[in-house]
Amino acid sequence: MEKERFFGGGWKSAHAGLLPEVRAFALDEHLPHSFVGFGWEQPVHGQEAHAQQLESALSSLVSSPSSNAPDGNDSVVIRELIGRLGSICNSGNVSPSSRCHSAHASYYSTPLSSPPKLNLAGADHQRQRMLVNQVAAAPLTAPFLADQGFAERAARFSCFGAAEAGQLSRVSSRQSLAKEVAASYAMMAGSSSSPEASSASEKLTAVVAEHNARKRKAAPKGKGKAAAPSSSSAMDPPEASPKIESFIDASKLCELIPLPQEENSDSKRCKSAEAGGADKDAPVKPKTEQNSSDDGNAKPPEPPKDYIHVRARRGQATDSHSLAERVRREKISERMKLLQDLVPGCNKVTGKAVMLDEIINYVQSLQRQVEFLSMKLATLDPQLEFDTETLLSKEMHQVHVPLPQQVLFPLDMATSAFSLAQPPLKLAENPLDSMFSSLQLPPIDHVMMMHHFRHKFKSVENNLTDPKLAELVCSLPISGKTTFGMSFRPGSRRARRHHSPPELFEPSEPEAPKKIESCV
Amino acid sequence: MYRRSFKDTRSSLGSPNPNFSKPMVALRFLRALSLVRRSGLGACSPSYRARGIRRAAYACMAASAGPRRAWSRALLRKIRRRPGRGLRRPRAVIWRHRPVGGGDRLEVALRRLVPGGGCMEYCRLLEEAADYVKCLAMQVRLMQTIVDSASHV
Repeated sequence: MEKERFFGGGWKSAHAGLLPEVRAFALDEHLPHSFVGFGWEQPVHGQEAHAQQLESALSSLVSSPSSNAPDGNDSVVIRELIGRLGSICNSGNVSPSSRCHSAHASYYSTPLSSPPKLNLAGADHQRQRMLVNQVAAAPLTAPFLADQGFAERAARFSCFGAAEAGQLSRVSSRQSLAKEVAASYAMMAGSSSSPEASSASEKLTAVVAEHNARKRKAAPKGKGKAAAPSSSSAMDPPEASPKIESFIDASKLCELIPLPQEENSDSKRCKSAEAGGADKDAPVKPKTEQNSSDDGNAKPPEPPKDYIHVRARRGQATDSHSLAERVRREKISERMKLLQDLVPGCNKVTGKAVMLDEIINYVQSLQRQVEFLSMKLATLDPQLEFDTETLLSKEMHQVHVPLPQQVLFPLDMATSAFSLAQPPLKLAENPLDSMFSSLQLPPIDHVMMMHHFRHKFKSVENNLTDPKLAELVCSLPISGKTTFGMSFRPGSRRARRHHSPPELFEPSEPEAPKKIESCV
Repeated sequence: MYRRSFKDTRSSLGSPNPNFSKPMVALRFLRALSLVRRSGLGACSPSYRARGIRRAAYACMAASAGPRRAWSRALLRKIRRRPGRGLRRPRAVIWRHRPVGGGDRLEVALRRLVPGGGCMEYCRLLEEAADYVKCLAMQVRLMQTIVDSASHV
């Protein structure tokens, strides 16, 4: 086509500084370059005709076979480009002219509507990759940065890209993305100026090349590389610097965009690898300015299930196995930290083995202490009478309301062996007196305890008549296991404990009468 | 007689799940102690009583720790199984999967120490060990206080 010749010259002149590894630029003869040149050649003055021409060029471009399509993940590339578009627009850098706004605005409407029409079912991956690369090679970003009218479109592109990748089939999504990207880039190309374009294109192509050259799972490393273009951006000529910066931000953004998709697949693999633990988000290097635009895009693709959501950190592999291992390692280290706080004297100890050793020693010492103290208690025991209230008051100065009642009754039962003849109030009072005699409480506590006991006595009085005594005894904690049983019921998922619940949790009514008889 | 103390300790004041309330443990333990003491009045030998008290202590600890903890369940089961309980009823015990990895002697030692630690994964083991250590420390402090107050009064 005549357009090719027309544009090829412009393209070559513009891309003198292209990186060699970008093989896409070997396809200079193809339309995409001319695509760009077309934009350059004809000033942007926003007509539909341009859009239509570009569309046709785009379609022919896509349909043309590609030879040296670079390897790599084209969907990643596409997403990256779209992300760049989105970020560029969101960054809000404005270099330029209002005419660009109008021009782009008119352009945008068409490509958005056109992609769905184009049916590239037959296009293979290579073509798409080629298309994307070639389009990416175009120094289109600089004008993008300037254009604010494009912001919504680019945002839509990125949203569309993210959503599409998550929902549509890969081929169709890639195709539509490719179309959109190509169309939008074509639009943008119109307002670009060559020097800025060349420098911007370098960055773009560098990032694109990185994406293509890398494998998918090494995508996080691209984040590190994204920093490289950003560092190189510092050397840019000052007049292009604002645009380059926003462009670099776009490149950073694009690194993030593949992540949701990777997360999806990785999180799905994590789910299979690890038996669905709690959700966990390892922090990603935050790119604050993209967060707002990214969050909306990142949310839809993530599966709303109980997967382990882990983000790959910078410089780490995103292999599903390594992700799961990393999650596990983090869990273990977190638990170890907990243990470190519990075990005294472990703050300065580092290393898992030494920590474990300390923990084991501590547990052993605690168990030995329990044994020793129980022996001591056994020897001390017959000499003292255990006034629970005394000891309780010595330990803490809070008397729980339910406690006194149940404290009293066991003592009653133990001493009187379930003698139901005595009125409970009297029974209650006897141990109370004995307790109070031995109490050396401060007056406040004494009063408090008295209040509690009086309250409890009243409730006891209400309940206790002879015919109701058995029922009361049933409700006692000693004879019945009601409260404990009701609270101690394990979860249904603990299937293996089914044998213990029946023993523990028999209802109080059938059991209590048996208990009474056994105790007497 | 020791069974009674265990039942007593099990019967709780609406056993709260977290074991942060020392008074709960204290109450249970004291009640159990009194029961042990009153049952048979010493049972003739202090070592016998000591064993009973030790088991009561562990039972209190496990009971107040709550059923949500694997170690508390395993501990209670171990305690209750002791008094001559053979295969009273054939239970469909789902044999707990034993995690392979006995190469690390530290891990093995920890599994032996923590009740119910033979079947858990490493992460779970560490978690249960932390909780177990916390409850154990609290129990030890409690018993120490009791002994101190008992020896002073």
